[in-house]
Amino acid sequence: MSFAKQLNILDYALQGLWRRRLKTGGIVVIFSAVIFLAASFQFTIKALNNLVDQDLRATPEIVIQKMSAGRQESIPLNYIKKLKGIWGIRRVVPRIWGYYFDATTKANYTVIGLNYSKMPMGGLLDKALIKGSHLPGPGEALIGTGVKEVLRLPDKGAMLSLFRPDYSLKALKVSGVFMPSTDILTTDTILMNLPDSRDLFAIKPGLVTDLCVYVANPREVTTIARKIAARLPDTRVVPKSQIKETYREVFGWRGGFASICLLTAIAAFIIFAWDKASGMNPDEKREVAILKVIGWQTADILSLRFYEGFIVSSLSFLLGCTLAYAHVAFMGAGLFRPILTGWSVIQPRIMLRPALEFSDILLIFSLVVPPYMAATIVPAWRSAIIPPDAAVN
Amino acid sequence: MRPARLFFYIVGMLLVVDLVMYAWNVHNERLAADGSRAAIVTAALGLTDLCLATEARYTRHPVLADGVVPFMDYPGEIEHFPTGSFWAPPVRFGRFPSPRQL
Repeated sequence: MSFAKQLNILDYALQGLWRRRLKTGGIVVIFSAVIFLAASFQFTIKALNNLVDQDLRATPEIVIQKMSAGRQESIPLNYIKKLKGIWGIRRVVPRIWGYYFDATTKANYTVIGLNYSKMPMGGLLDKALIKGSHLPGPGEALIGTGVKEVLRLPDKGAMLSLFRPDYSLKALKVSGVFMPSTDILTTDTILMNLPDSRDLFAIKPGLVTDLCVYVANPREVTTIARKIAARLPDTRVVPKSQIKETYREVFGWRGGFASICLLTAIAAFIIFAWDKASGMNPDEKREVAILKVIGWQTADILSLRFYEGFIVSSLSFLLGCTLAYAHVAFMGAGLFRPILTGWSVIQPRIMLRPALEFSDILLIFSLVVPPYMAATIVPAWRSAIIPPDAAVN
Repeated sequence: MRPARLFFYIVGMLLVVDLVMYAWNVHNERLAADGSRAAIVTAALGLTDLCLATEARYTRHPVLADGVVPFMDYPGEIEHFPTGSFWAPPVRFGRFPSPRQL
């Protein structure tokens, strides 16, 4: 089989597909749409995992929360004393945080109160604020862009009025706004100092929400977490490694769930392709017969059918993947936004960066192209073995 | 022009578009990593979760949520938030609560 001959068969296959352009175009459009959906899911999951890897790498090494009757409750500050003597703990920072439901806007805010000067990189926090902002002092709060937008606050001199549990108002001056580039972390956040958050949530003195533990040697995190769990049996100890694992599992579940839905679409498409390829009309049968009469071999007809399948599937694959990449990288996977955010009133501007690897492309390719080729191979064989006289007569 | 050549041109053009998009994205990724503002915020506030869904506390902070949270508001409550349908069940919570389970 010479290269020139194969090129000629490819030319003939392309001309044939162009003659049946309505049918071919329909298959390419449907196939591209199926690939677009499958690839979009894969790219989105990949990009979300990249976000976790990049943005959550500086998370606390260990978080300690007190548990009671299966629920989390405030942890006494004197638990910090019980941790003394555990070799390797560098610092323990208490923190108050919780959720605030705004009945007017139906939005949920995440309120965080801590002494950020004690936190790692606390001194650099002003670099993550928009121009004109400053770190919050007593009676002040720093807010995310989502909070600012949903409350329609002015750029300067804004006040924030929040209700305490007894419905008395707590007024806070807005000292600034987090940069939009940190939206994926801070869009629903209201940051204030520890006494203000204690006052807002009416948390008794001596209690906080959780403790952030920082460890000198990252390799000792698991050992230290084990020791903490032994000393404080009524607590939940969340080491840094668990954060990554949780997200991998969470997105894996989402990806897997979506893949099952997509497999149905792919299966439906393969049945459609089989039906289209096997249901040869009289013109196509006559074409095969004429080709055989003028000297084409069965192998040549098979090559022709292979090229037709390859052209349709490769073009659809490229189109689908290109559109999927643009959808995820430039439109923030807008089609999946309802799945990702649900009924959330505050929705972050998600900048997804799908840093793809060859394996990701190969996975999508193997999920869609070989099944299509396999579905069309038997009809191709059937068409290739038609006796020329039977078709012409 | 013979059809095969036209086909290769189209495929080549799509590949070039893909490469340009990928290069642009990698460039942006480097800029984002260089800024490291996200790292500052994460470290300074001790954040553990991405702010993807703000509708329910167990999907806002899946890492720190209790396993029973979706059902804890009243006895017999069913989980009803849309994002919760796609959220992994927090099976590993409980791995670190007591020394016996370590």
